[in-house]
Amino acid sequence: MGLFGEVSCCFWKEEPSLREAEFTLESREIYVLPNFISEGYFTQTVIPRELGLTGPLTQRADGRVWKYCEPAGNHASMTELLRQRAREVAPGVREEETSLLIVGHGTGLNDNSAVAAKAQAALIREQSQYVEVLSTFMEEEPLIARWDELTTAPNVVVVPFFIADGLHSYQDIPVLLGLEAELPAAASQSAVFRRNPRVLRGRNLYYAAAIGTEPRFVDVMLDLVTAFDRKHGPN
Amino acid sequence: MGRIEALLAGVLRDGCGWIGQILIQSQGKGWQLRHRDDAARLDLEAHTAPEDARLLATYDDGGGYRPLKTAPNLRRGWRLELPDVAAVQLALDFFYPAQLGLWLARREGRLRATSLRETVGRQTGMYRITGTITAAQADGLVSAGCRSEGGCLRAILWPIEPDGARASGLPAEKFDPAYDQTGGGQAVIPLLCAELCNLQVAAARELIKGKKAEAEK
Repeated sequence: MGLFGEVSCCFWKEEPSLREAEFTLESREIYVLPNFISEGYFTQTVIPRELGLTGPLTQRADGRVWKYCEPAGNHASMTELLRQRAREVAPGVREEETSLLIVGHGTGLNDNSAVAAKAQAALIREQSQYVEVLSTFMEEEPLIARWDELTTAPNVVVVPFFIADGLHSYQDIPVLLGLEAELPAAASQSAVFRRNPRVLRGRNLYYAAAIGTEPRFVDVMLDLVTAFDRKHGPN
Repeated sequence: MGRIEALLAGVLRDGCGWIGQILIQSQGKGWQLRHRDDAARLDLEAHTAPEDARLLATYDDGGGYRPLKTAPNLRRGWRLELPDVAAVQLALDFFYPAQLGLWLARREGRLRATSLRETVGRQTGMYRITGTITAAQADGLVSAGCRSEGGCLRAILWPIEPDGARASGLPAEKFDPAYDQTGGGQAVIPLLCAELCNLQVAAARELIKGKKAEAEK
């Protein structure tokens, strides 16, 4: 795209580490985009600590400026992305006959983890004609495992509110939905998303891939940079 | 041209083509990378995209995942033909992430080493427990896990304690960036370790939890 002089990535448990990231870059001005769906322990504690960030703007002694953007899940353009994914996974299915479930991880360890999923569900509820729009979770109420009790429409669309397709969207959620009796074998992972709809518990169930796998997710990340500049000034 | 690329171009031009387990040789107008142990082989699988280095670096010869890219288990049997130094830099960023940047930072006096004690001391959440590691436990952990034979090819720049105490079970050359950690005796582009990696922080947690469980038996 040629929008930035350099683009680098770093990881908590892979290489390069967060601590080594600064040495991979030669620019004076660095935007940090956390590839996390929601605020939580990693975006609020681990990343700032490991990168040495003191707030949204960190001016270092070496003259470099670090700009810490918000995670993608909070952003307004995410709402439209979720709606698009819901439409694409259930083509031709009318919103008025459909319940939409956004499923996040949820955890008892950090209250902020579920905030973005709840906020997105509320926004879509206002903007759409779905019978219900609910945020549900793997590990906190309302539990995705109770999807049929939580919804009333004949069609139910489930969109995982995750950055990547991994164990949660491939294995854990399909089991919780009842799509798979037990953990599916690795070879059948991609098939999980290709069998829509599945008739289950008297409903048509449509299960989407993780929202972060949407190619337009790149645009959401670029919007986060724009949003940062709007809020904190370009310099 | 960036500063990292300029530094790399300079040493390659001067004939230094060894980094970790990789040999870099000039080839026509460009460069060729291969495993050092494949120096004389003619039956190598040819690659021409610097991005191929990412996959070449991901699994070892047995198909096992390589969580630590500086472990001495780079797979063999390939050669990577690249048109220019920028492409070599990109490939090396996949083979040995951040290492060229660490090298430049050290040469410019910007690389600060962090003692093991500081690294474990700042951990939170499930790794907070690593802050309780004893000096003897830390010494054992580093001496076993960081050794160049079978562990990691980086040169260690940090002490265990802020007072300067180093791991006792490692040879003096393990702390020398100029030393070829593969034992090949070449003048190398160094692989540097400025602080305990997160794999070892995770290992420290297992060590301490294991000892705790043992004591409670």
